[in-house]
Amino acid sequence: MNPIAGLLNFIGFLLLTHAVYSAHEHSALFANLPPTAAPTGSPAVTSLPTDIVLETLASVVVLCVGIVLASPPLKPIQWRVWAGRIEREERMTPEQKARLGNRRVGGPGTSGNPFRVLEERMGFWDVRSKRKEFADWVREGGKS
Amino acid sequence: MLPEERELALNPIVQESVQHNKRTLLNTRNMTASLFGVAAGTLGLESYPGFLFYAVLSVLVSALVHFVAADGRPERYFYRPGRELWAGEVLGPLSSYVLTWTLFYGLVRA
Repeated sequence: MNPIAGLLNFIGFLLLTHAVYSAHEHSALFANLPPTAAPTGSPAVTSLPTDIVLETLASVVVLCVGIVLASPPLKPIQWRVWAGRIEREERMTPEQKARLGNRRVGGPGTSGNPFRVLEERMGFWDVRSKRKEFADWVREGGKS
Repeated sequence: MLPEERELALNPIVQESVQHNKRTLLNTRNMTASLFGVAAGTLGLESYPGFLFYAVLSVLVSALVHFVAADGRPERYFYRPGRELWAGEVLGPLSSYVLTWTLFYGLVRA
């Protein structure tokens, strides 16, 4: 989670807690009032004050932005973009990989570089040493 | 060969990334849906205004994912942005929205 997202989530959570508590106190205050003390036209009494409504809406928007910023980054779905980024990550030093953090496309938990098969193919066969091994084996009597 | 098949053969799609993006979107929607329920219960919404509130805020979340998480280029991250980003995973988290909506409505109005 990057620091801006953490800060936004913290502020949003604080605002939301305060708004919910204020709304609860408001309803508790007017619920215990005797009916004669309430002003006539009671819908105005039961409806929330504008500042609590605005605080709730603001906290929801701030938390939304925070949650979207804190969510893990999306990965490209086009094969060429994805494979290119994995290929570049393979050549990075561990420090560069660590700096990239969760913006990495490859890494643990993924299928990894699709070109690794080509990187790890077998080298040439040493025919001379194999022939010598076979000749030695025959000379020893041909028993394995 | 169908045109869509031909397009997929020329520009293949990585299923692993598609699933990762879908899961990320679902997580975001689940978390924000519970949050919207808290707000709706606190505001004391009832009946259709409550569902309208969810619809409006879901559009807000889609817009945030479109412009912030996907850098304004959703076609890079979603195969069909209209269906998978703007309409994707909206109805699933509705149940968690109704849950927290009714819970906080009851808590605040008690």
